[in-house]
Amino acid sequence: MTNEATIDPATLTEPVESDSGVERQEFNLLRWFSERGIFVFSAALLLFAVIFVDGFASVANITDVFNRAAPIGIVAVGMTFVVISANYLDLSVVAQVATAAVVLIGVSNDHSIPLAMGLASVIALVYGMVNGIAVGVFKANAVIVTLSTTFIGLGLLRWFSGGSIYFGPNDGIIRSFGTTEIGPFPLAMLLLIVMTVLLSLVLTRTNFGFLVRSYGSNPAATRLAGINTAWVVIGAFVITALSAMIAGFALAAFSNTAVSAMATGYDFEALAAIIVGGTSVFGGRGSVMRTLLGVVFVSMLTNILVLSGWGFGLQQMAIGFLIVAAVSVDALARKATAS
Amino acid sequence: MRQCIRAAVKGGRANMNESMTAERGPTTAESPIIEARNIVKRFGGVTAVDDVSLAVLPGEIHGVVGENGAGKSTLMRVLAGILTPDEGGVLVDDNQLQGGARSALEAGISLVHQELSLVPELTVAENILLGSTPSRAGFVNTRKLKEIAAGALDEIGVSVDLDVPVATLSVALRQFVEIARAIARNPRVLILDEPTATLTPAETDYLLDMLQRLAERGLAIIYISHRIPEIFQICDRVTILRDGKLVDSVSISDTQPAELVDKMVGRELKLDLQTHREAAPGEVVLSARGIKAHLVNDVDLEVRAGEIVGLGGLVGAGRTELIRAIIGADIKTAGEVTITEGGVTKRITGYGSAIGSGLAYVPEERRTDGLALTMTVSDNIALPNRHELSRNGVLLRRKITKFAKGLADTVGLRPPEIQREAGDFSGGNQQKIVVAKWLGRKPVAIVLDEPTRGVDVGAKVEIHRLIRELADNGTAVVVISSDLPELLELSDIIHVVRDGRIVGTLPWQEADEKSVMSLASGEVTAGAL
Repeated sequence: MTNEATIDPATLTEPVESDSGVERQEFNLLRWFSERGIFVFSAALLLFAVIFVDGFASVANITDVFNRAAPIGIVAVGMTFVVISANYLDLSVVAQVATAAVVLIGVSNDHSIPLAMGLASVIALVYGMVNGIAVGVFKANAVIVTLSTTFIGLGLLRWFSGGSIYFGPNDGIIRSFGTTEIGPFPLAMLLLIVMTVLLSLVLTRTNFGFLVRSYGSNPAATRLAGINTAWVVIGAFVITALSAMIAGFALAAFSNTAVSAMATGYDFEALAAIIVGGTSVFGGRGSVMRTLLGVVFVSMLTNILVLSGWGFGLQQMAIGFLIVAAVSVDALARKATAS
Repeated sequence: MRQCIRAAVKGGRANMNESMTAERGPTTAESPIIEARNIVKRFGGVTAVDDVSLAVLPGEIHGVVGENGAGKSTLMRVLAGILTPDEGGVLVDDNQLQGGARSALEAGISLVHQELSLVPELTVAENILLGSTPSRAGFVNTRKLKEIAAGALDEIGVSVDLDVPVATLSVALRQFVEIARAIARNPRVLILDEPTATLTPAETDYLLDMLQRLAERGLAIIYISHRIPEIFQICDRVTILRDGKLVDSVSISDTQPAELVDKMVGRELKLDLQTHREAAPGEVVLSARGIKAHLVNDVDLEVRAGEIVGLGGLVGAGRTELIRAIIGADIKTAGEVTITEGGVTKRITGYGSAIGSGLAYVPEERRTDGLALTMTVSDNIALPNRHELSRNGVLLRRKITKFAKGLADTVGLRPPEIQREAGDFSGGNQQKIVVAKWLGRKPVAIVLDEPTRGVDVGAKVEIHRLIRELADNGTAVVVISSDLPELLELSDIIHVVRDGRIVGTLPWQEADEKSVMSLASGEVTAGAL
């Protein structure tokens, strides 16, 4: 034999590994806390509210909570796809929701509801494609791209609408959709549940959803499995855009008015629900169902603060703190599993 | 001069170092500068370094040799304070070293990393002083920065423009900048881990001369190398490690190259040699003509059905770049690639079309390129096979589980828990998962880049078995490996790559370590045994 057994120094860099197979047997509390904690917290918060908060446990209040939560919730379940694909978030939902609402009421006032919905769908597809192509094909940073498309979208909307507020007719179909209740449930809430179930099936049961999770977990490995990853990213943004459009419809129906600034803060509130629901901002891990729970949790918390007489400023602060805590736990859990 | 550098580099800590610096210079007393006592370091259940002691005197060049996984690099990282030993300790001037890498640096221990740790976008001077940039009131003192960097380069006798980004330098120059970086910290102990792996013979000679000059000035040097002739050229003592244990530590004048190799390898491993398989190559499956790409110069390559083609060469020779250009994973500037299956020849236009034509690729970096670590084994295996495992875009759960289970058994995943996340498994098992996901596609051609790097012996044997089975079943196989015995054992034919070209082709009957190495290094390795 000769001396030059090996010519590659890099073979030495990895520690020798055992043949025992699995390296991490122990239960990871942080990972559990980050992903499943929402079940415990929601239950605890609900219990607390029912016992201690006056006026919480009434049908009227609960209905109101869901009515308010529905549009943000619909945005959040859609945006879960973008977060799982490791592209942080889609800030442009602020413009997308408002555009859909303005188009629905504005165009249906002058023309017809089908035309309004058709036009809104085309706009949603354009949003999804533009965001998706910039991020998926050109590999631009999702936060900056969607921040920019928010500006473009809101700018266009203000230009076209002249900044005016649109009112729907008081006896119109849109208005009646917004006020219909099936039993104690407002229609918007049922829409949220239908969207959640649908998108959850897309994420967990379809080829596309599988690729979104795989891409979010490891883009390089997914590409090297022979997958056209640009379409995966575009798909995630299109799903978000279509959800934002439906959220815009629901919001327009609920208030029977539409204005370009109506969805301010939706980007962050949707992200809050997604992260509190335990979807990782690092991509690959997450669930649409838990986003729904995150929506319920955040809305319930806001409602409790309102009922307890906290002002808007304090509510905002509380949500901010909640997110810092949730993303920190997410990051710690990742660090613990990566080591 | 040196003292002034040290004071400048350390800034506020200058006083603390004053006393250390004062002790430097030619030492007559035979007391070691650095001493490792009974070091034990475990990773999980594996003991990487097992009760190893080592002492280095001022002015001594101390060689450390051993096979892959012998624990050399781990031991060096313990000495440099990067890893904390589980047992035993490191003594500098008889004082126990405490705290991490920072305090080891302050005690004068500098490690030149095995993989280059420079920042490509920063200039040479900035890189040399990275982590100890001289500053005043928070502003970088550019004049002093350049002065110290120039001093360090001067000391090792290398001339390079201080203001160019490191990215523009050759691999060899980067290696020297890395050494200058260690020197700028004014060390008393310099640790080099395989510094010559990527250097040409002339550059290697220069480096070895330089180390001897540094040692003459009282620097203690610990030198890791696989190249036995280098050890005999410059070292005073040599320590041999095997399987994490200390085999021997001898004066270089008391040993012979052959004896050293015997001690490195041990007896048991030599019995491991397998008889070579009988290959029966069929028609050409993968054909590449005139491939040009970054680091690849006009290469032709043909792989036949049932044949294992090995690509040998030094690190940086362009093997991975060549194969990635051929399969379309990276951009090629010229050339044509075809894959033939069942008499139908298809032109490969990109990675997607290569995979679609029945190619499989097991990349070099399994953790970053091979696996989605936060997904289950089952999901990872399903990824390239999703079309067979879904109907109208909807995944067939039960079919996926059955499919993944079968492949996990084929590759011998342990434990065979396919619903566990891939990141939970050890390196060897992770590599089996990567192989499993491609096996499911029954590839007509498969490329495996460093298939057993960082993998334990048991998994290595199983991966070799899988590769042979693939070839026996008619798959065209390409293996890139820097593990020469592995390459010789697996390949039916070996192409040796140097500077992005195939410089020689050896059928397995004619190939041995010497013939491959002399082609790979571009010289007749006269010093080799």
